[in-house]
Amino acid sequence: MISLRDVSKTYSENVRALFRVNLEIRKGEFVFIVGPSGAGKSTLIKLLYREETPTTGQVIVFGKDLQKMRRREIPYLRRRIGVVFQDFRLLEDRTVEENVAFALEVTGTPWRDVKKRVAQVISMVGLKDRKDAYPRELSGGEQQRVAIARALVRNPDILLADEPSGNLDPHTSIEIFELLERANMYGTTVVVATHAQNIVDALRKRVVELRDGVIVRDVRRGAYGS
Amino acid sequence: MKSWSGYLFSETWKSIWRNKASSLLSAFTTGFALFLLGMSFLVSVNLRFIFSTVEQQMEIQAYLKKDISESETSKILEIVKNTGGVREVNYVSKEKALEELKAMFRDKASVLDTLGDENPLPASIRVRTEKVEDIPRVVGELKKIPGVVDVIYQEEVSRRLASVGRAIQIVSFGGVVIVGFVAVMVIGNSIRLTIYSRRHEISIMKLVGATDGFILGPFLLEGIVLGVLGSLVGSGFAAGLYVWIVQRVGSVLPFIPMLRLDFDVLCDMLGIVLVTGVMVGMAGSVFSLRRHLRI
Ligand SMILES: Nc1ncnc2c1ncn2[C@@H]1O[C@H](COP(=O)(O)OP(=O)(O)OP(=O)(O)O)[C@@H](O)[C@H]1O
Ligand SMILES: [Mg+2]
Repeated sequence: MISLRDVSKTYSENVRALFRVNLEIRKGEFVFIVGPSGAGKSTLIKLLYREETPTTGQVIVFGKDLQKMRRREIPYLRRRIGVVFQDFRLLEDRTVEENVAFALEVTGTPWRDVKKRVAQVISMVGLKDRKDAYPRELSGGEQQRVAIARALVRNPDILLADEPSGNLDPHTSIEIFELLERANMYGTTVVVATHAQNIVDALRKRVVELRDGVIVRDVRRGAYGS
Repeated sequence: MKSWSGYLFSETWKSIWRNKASSLLSAFTTGFALFLLGMSFLVSVNLRFIFSTVEQQMEIQAYLKKDISESETSKILEIVKNTGGVREVNYVSKEKALEELKAMFRDKASVLDTLGDENPLPASIRVRTEKVEDIPRVVGELKKIPGVVDVIYQEEVSRRLASVGRAIQIVSFGGVVIVGFVAVMVIGNSIRLTIYSRRHEISIMKLVGATDGFILGPFLLEGIVLGVLGSLVGSGFAAGLYVWIVQRVGSVLPFIPMLRLDFDVLCDMLGIVLVTGVMVGMAGSVFSLRRHLRI
């Protein structure tokens, strides 16, 4: 499903974010990307939804080399990939329901289908009662649930999360990871970059550790530290 | 929750409303450009009308030699009729010329008495051309015909009319181009503000897989709407000013023929202004999107 072959990413002359990374992620996997700040986690995530392209090497998603992909194919790649960030990235002037529906509306989904699917996914993340609230009226955890609902509304094949609990307290973080696990149980491949040590330790999933842009560890059922 | 077209229109309206000041500025600048366009259209339609009126009145008179024979006269008439640009040819015989003269001086018969029975007037041919511009050439042709002794026409009038017309058209065209260019810039700036105020939304649209066309839609429509608003403002002012001028000129200089602003002319102007407004609006948004959205 996801395949990185000898991928290096250099932003400028001396900033080497990733160096000769090889990684295979199969359909249905749940993978943690860990490592110290600046190790290249966010860069790796960005390569997967073609926010960035590698300097050398190949990034292959759904069997397609993303670098060779045409500009106008990118939207269709992204429709199959949900992305969640540390800072939620919700639209302040739209309600919970409208924020989630936005992902469908702007991709031209007929509105009859939108309504039903939005209701489903909102109740899945447990925000049925808050669907008319605006982001500023929600707690951080609730806002992240909205972002997850928006990422999942299209039933994506892949869910990417870059430090989804970075702004949340430990208890709320656990709830967010439970949602990611839930999506994974429904068959979505999940890749999460995180610093949440205790959660990585508790969930016992595959762990890929980066240091200075190099993969130093890749273990099944791993922990945050070796 | 909205359908695509619902989304398109509500987004466009919201962004125009959100940037009221710059939207208003764009609509008025475009309006000004299109006002100039509308005016120059009306002026040129009018010039054409005035020209054609004057042209109809403007005559070339070719005097024939005194003792010309009938066969010579008809030969000359034939040549004149076949000259390019000639619309109308009238032969005025010696007798006819005298009659006209008498009619002109009806009240002062004594002036004519001094002539006695003699008719000193030459026969002549009066020629009207298709266009004012044709006059000098036709005059040249007439002068070459044997039997024609003198050619008289209102040289100055025709030349001035033609050059004034040309100057007005060049100046107004230049004005339209310059102000049109400014209008494209101002609309572009308005779109830039919209892009800026919606940058967050645009980045999310890209993230969730909206196509470039979908992202561009509201901006293009916004440009077009601003262009259309400008067209309405511009043609409104142009039509108003024109009606006012026609009334003014009509009362001060009643002998200048001016075209009334009838429905047909108004529709023509509105059509030209509207099409141009839409194009200016689209040019403004495309220009701005290219620069600021890298799409
Ligand atoms: N757009 C960019 N331009 C230049 N350098 C960048 C850019 N993005 C990241 N970098 C650099 O690339 C390296 C890896 O950054 P990245 O954001 O991938 O790290 P990270 O593992 O996500 O760190 P953190 O845990 O702090 O989020 C860092 O040295 C960073 O400064
Ligand atoms: Mg990061």
